[in-house]
Amino acid sequence: MRLRARFGGKMVAAVVVLLVAAGIVSFLVYQQGMVLAKDFYIVGVSPDAPGLPDQRFHVVPAAAAEGSALLKSRNIDIYVTASKIYYRGDDRSQYAANAVKTYLEKLELVRLADEYPLNQAFPLRVEINYLKAPSRDVSSASAVTLAEIVSRAKEEAASASTPSPEEVPESGPSAPATPKQAVPSVTDEVVKQQLAGLQSSRLVPEFKAEFAENQQIIIPSLMNPPIPLAQVLLAFAYILPVFFISIFFTSGFIEEKLGRKINILMSAPVTPLQVIIGKMLPYIGYSLLVVIVITLILHGNLLLALAIFLPVILFIFAIYLGVALQYRTYRDQTFFSLVAVTGITGYLVFPAMFVGINDLSYVSPLTLAVQMYRGVDITLYQYMLSAVPMLLIFVLALTVGTRVFNEEYLLSFRPLHVKVREAIYYAMDKHHMAVSTAVFALLFIPVVFMMEMGVITISFNLPRALALGLCIFLCVVIEEIAKSVVVLTTIEYKLVKNWRQVALLAAVSAVFFFIGEKLLLFMSLKVISESLFTTAVFAGNVLWVPLLVHAACTLVVCTITWKAGPKSYPLAVLAGSVLHGLYNLSLIGVFK
Amino acid sequence: MVLREIKALRKEKTIGFAILIQFFIASFSSVILLGIMVYYDPGSIGQNAQVGLDVGVLGNTKSNFVTALQQRNFHVIAFDNATRAETAFKNGRLDAIVYIPQDNGTGVVDMKLVLPDMDAQATLVLMLLKQPMEQYENYLRTRDGVVVRYQDVRGKPFTTYEFLYTIIIPILMFFPAFIAGSMVIDSISEEVENKTLDTLLSAPVSIMQIAASKIIASVLVGAIQCVLWIVLLGFNGFSIQNAGWILLLSVEVTALVALVALMVALFFRDRERSQFIYSLVILLLFALTYFISPSPFALVARLATGDPYVGGLQVLVYLAMLAVLVAITPLVTRKLTRS
Repeated sequence: MRLRARFGGKMVAAVVVLLVAAGIVSFLVYQQGMVLAKDFYIVGVSPDAPGLPDQRFHVVPAAAAEGSALLKSRNIDIYVTASKIYYRGDDRSQYAANAVKTYLEKLELVRLADEYPLNQAFPLRVEINYLKAPSRDVSSASAVTLAEIVSRAKEEAASASTPSPEEVPESGPSAPATPKQAVPSVTDEVVKQQLAGLQSSRLVPEFKAEFAENQQIIIPSLMNPPIPLAQVLLAFAYILPVFFISIFFTSGFIEEKLGRKINILMSAPVTPLQVIIGKMLPYIGYSLLVVIVITLILHGNLLLALAIFLPVILFIFAIYLGVALQYRTYRDQTFFSLVAVTGITGYLVFPAMFVGINDLSYVSPLTLAVQMYRGVDITLYQYMLSAVPMLLIFVLALTVGTRVFNEEYLLSFRPLHVKVREAIYYAMDKHHMAVSTAVFALLFIPVVFMMEMGVITISFNLPRALALGLCIFLCVVIEEIAKSVVVLTTIEYKLVKNWRQVALLAAVSAVFFFIGEKLLLFMSLKVISESLFTTAVFAGNVLWVPLLVHAACTLVVCTITWKAGPKSYPLAVLAGSVLHGLYNLSLIGVFK
Repeated sequence: MVLREIKALRKEKTIGFAILIQFFIASFSSVILLGIMVYYDPGSIGQNAQVGLDVGVLGNTKSNFVTALQQRNFHVIAFDNATRAETAFKNGRLDAIVYIPQDNGTGVVDMKLVLPDMDAQATLVLMLLKQPMEQYENYLRTRDGVVVRYQDVRGKPFTTYEFLYTIIIPILMFFPAFIAGSMVIDSISEEVENKTLDTLLSAPVSIMQIAASKIIASVLVGAIQCVLWIVLLGFNGFSIQNAGWILLLSVEVTALVALVALMVALFFRDRERSQFIYSLVILLLFALTYFISPSPFALVARLATGDPYVGGLQVLVYLAMLAVLVAITPLVTRKLTRS
C-alpha cells in the first residue's frame, strides 16, 4: 500500500520513462562494446601496419620518419609497422607496447590460420588428463593410470600417418611453408573449433564447467581461461534489485519512526517480531520474485537458485533492519546504507572472483551461483559455508531487533557505539546472563568473520610486511571486542556485582566464541580438504592452547574494564589485543 | 549558510563515511584486479608470489619445452618410467606430469599433460604452464618456417595500469559527485519534511541562496575528498599528471550532479522518491556520457596519464555545461518552489 501511494500516478510514468531511456542507452553502449579506456594509448602506425580497430587505441597515422620524431617527442606512445613495434623506456610507452602486442598477437593467430596449413600454424596440441590427486578420497577422474596414458600416446604416434616423401619439406625447416606441405592431423578439427571461438567475439559470458575437461585437446595460443568476472557480475544481477528493494524497506521504517507512526504499532496487540516480520515479508517476497524471474531468464535451476539466494536476501534485510533500527536521520541512513552496500558487495564479489582457484571462494553464495550455471555439483558443506554465516546474522538481527523495539531506543539520538551496547542490554536475558553471553558469542562469529574478510581486503592496498602486521592487529582487536563487549555491557549497566561474575562471563564468552570459531573453521576445512588438515587441527591437545589464550585475553580485557571502569575499555581492548597478537605472531614463527 | 551546512556535515561524520566507502571500493577493486590477473596474467602473479611448480617429464626429456619450463624457474624432474612418475605425483611431489613425444623435426607434436583431479589446483597449474607451452609452440612454428611477428616486444604488463587509470582513479574522482547529489537530496527533503524550509524562507533569504549554500557545501566536501585521493595516490607511488585539471573537472561534475539532485529534490519533495529518481537519472546520465568524446571517465584517465591530446580545453567544455545549468537553475527552482 505504501509503495502504491508513493509510486503511483506521475511517479510511475517518470520511472518508466527513465528506465526505458536507461535501457535504450545501455543497449546502445552494449552494442558498441563498453570500453572505459577509449583512446587511452596513442599509437603511431605506418601505412603498411595492420589495422587496430580497438577503441583503447588512439591511432595516429605517420610515415617512418615522422613516426620516429613523434615517438621521441612523446606525442605518441609507440610506433607500429608491418613487422615491428617501436617503443621508449618510460612506463607509459612500455604499457602501451604490451597492450598493442597482446592485441596484435590475436590478429597474428588469425593471419597464421589464413596463410599456413593448420598443422604448421598450430603445431602443438596438448591433451589434458586428470589423475587422482594426493590425499583425495573421492575422485571423478577416470580410473586410468599414467602408464596407460603414455602407452596410448605412443600408439597414437605410431598410427599417425607418416608423411610421404613428396609431403616432406625439401628445403629444411627454414623454408617458408605452403599449403602443399599440409599433413592433416586428427586434432585439426579441434583447432578449427577453437579458432572459430577466437574469431567470434562473445558478448554474453559463457558459463564453463572447467578450464579443460578430461582428455580435452588444448592449443596453447588459443587457450583462454574462464575469467569469472563477467560470470560473477551476471550472478550479481540477482543482488542488485534486492538492494533497491531493501532500501525501500529501510526508508519505510525510518519514515514511520520520524512520523511517530511506529508508536501506534507499538501500542497495538502484536509482538515486535510480528511487526518486524510483517514489514519485511512483502519486500522479501518481491526479492524472491526477482530471483525466480532472473533464474527463468538465465535458464537456471529454480530450486537451487532459491536455496542459494534466500540466505543472501535474509542477510541483506538483516543489515538494513540494523540501519533502520539504529538511525533517525536521512543523511545517516544514506551513508550507512552506502557503507553497507559497499561492504556486502565486496563480501559477495571478492571471494567469488577466485572460483576454481581457491576453494575459500565458497564463502560467497555468488560462487555457488556461478557453479550452478556451470553445471558443477555443490556439496552440503560448500552450501553451509556460504549460507550459515548469513542465516546466523539474520537470526542475530531479528533477536536484537525484537528486543530493542521500544520507543526509548528507536527514537533516541546516541552515538553508534552507545546504541550497540544499549541493544545488547535490551537483548540480554538478565536472569540468565551466562546463557545470553554464550549465545552472543556464537552469533558474533559470522560478524567477526565478515569483518576480518574486510580487513584482509583492505590490507591488499598496503605493502606486504605492513599488511600482515595490520591484518593480525585489526583481526585480534575485532575478536577481543566481540568476546568482551557483552561483559562490558553488564559492567556498564551494573548487571554484575563482583569480579567473580565478570570472570565467569569472560570465560563463557571466550569458550563459546572459540567453539563457534572452530565450527566455522571445520566447515571451511571440510570444503578445502577432506582429511589431513582437518584431522591435524582437531586432534589432541593442540586445541587447549588457543582456548586458554582466548580465555586469558578476554579475562585481561574484562578485568581491566571492571577495575578501571567502562571508560578504560579501549585501553583494556588494546592490552588484550597485544597479548593475543603476540601469541599469533609466535604461531607464525616471527620470534624464531 | 555554507558554514551551517558544513557544520551539519561534520557533525554527522559525512566525510569520514564517504572516505570509508571509497576506501572500500578501492580495496575491493584491488582484489577484483588480483582475481582477474590470476586468470589473465598468471605469470606476473607467479613471479610476484614466487609460485613454483614441480613438473615431471616423460618421453623426450631433451625437448625445447623442458628448456622453456626451466627458463620459467619451474623444477623439472625427468622420469624414464611412468609408474615411478605416477608414484611421485600421488605422493604430492609433482604438480603436473607431461609426456613429450620424440620430435620428428616437422609436423604436429601431440603432448599429454597430466594434472591433479582438483578443479582449483589444476586450473592454476594449467594457467602457469600456458606461457612455457606458448613459447614451445612458437619454437615449433619457427622450426617449420612459420613467421610470427611482434614476438620480440616485451613492455610491461598493462592490466594493472589500465585498471588503475581507467577505473579506479575515475571512480575515486567521481564518487564524491554521486555522494554530493545524495547529500543535497537528503538535506532538502529533510528541511521539507521537518518544515524547517518554510522557516528558512520566512527569513530574508531566497530559495536560491538556500540551494546555493547546500550545493557549495557538498561541492567543497567533494573537492576535499578528491584532493585527499590525489595526495594519497601520490604517496602510494602512483603518478597523477594534470592534477589541477582533474580536480577542476571533478568539481564541475560534482556541481552538475548536485544541481540535478537539487531539481529532483524540489520536484518530488520527499526523500524516498527523490533518491530513487536521482539514482535512475545518474545512471542514465552516466550511460549518456559514453557518447561524448572524451567522456568524463576517459578524460580523467587520459589527463592522469599525461596524454598530450587532452588538456584544459576539454575540461572547460564541462565548465560551459555547468554555466548553462547554473543559468537556468533559478528559473526552474523558482517554478518548482512556487508549485
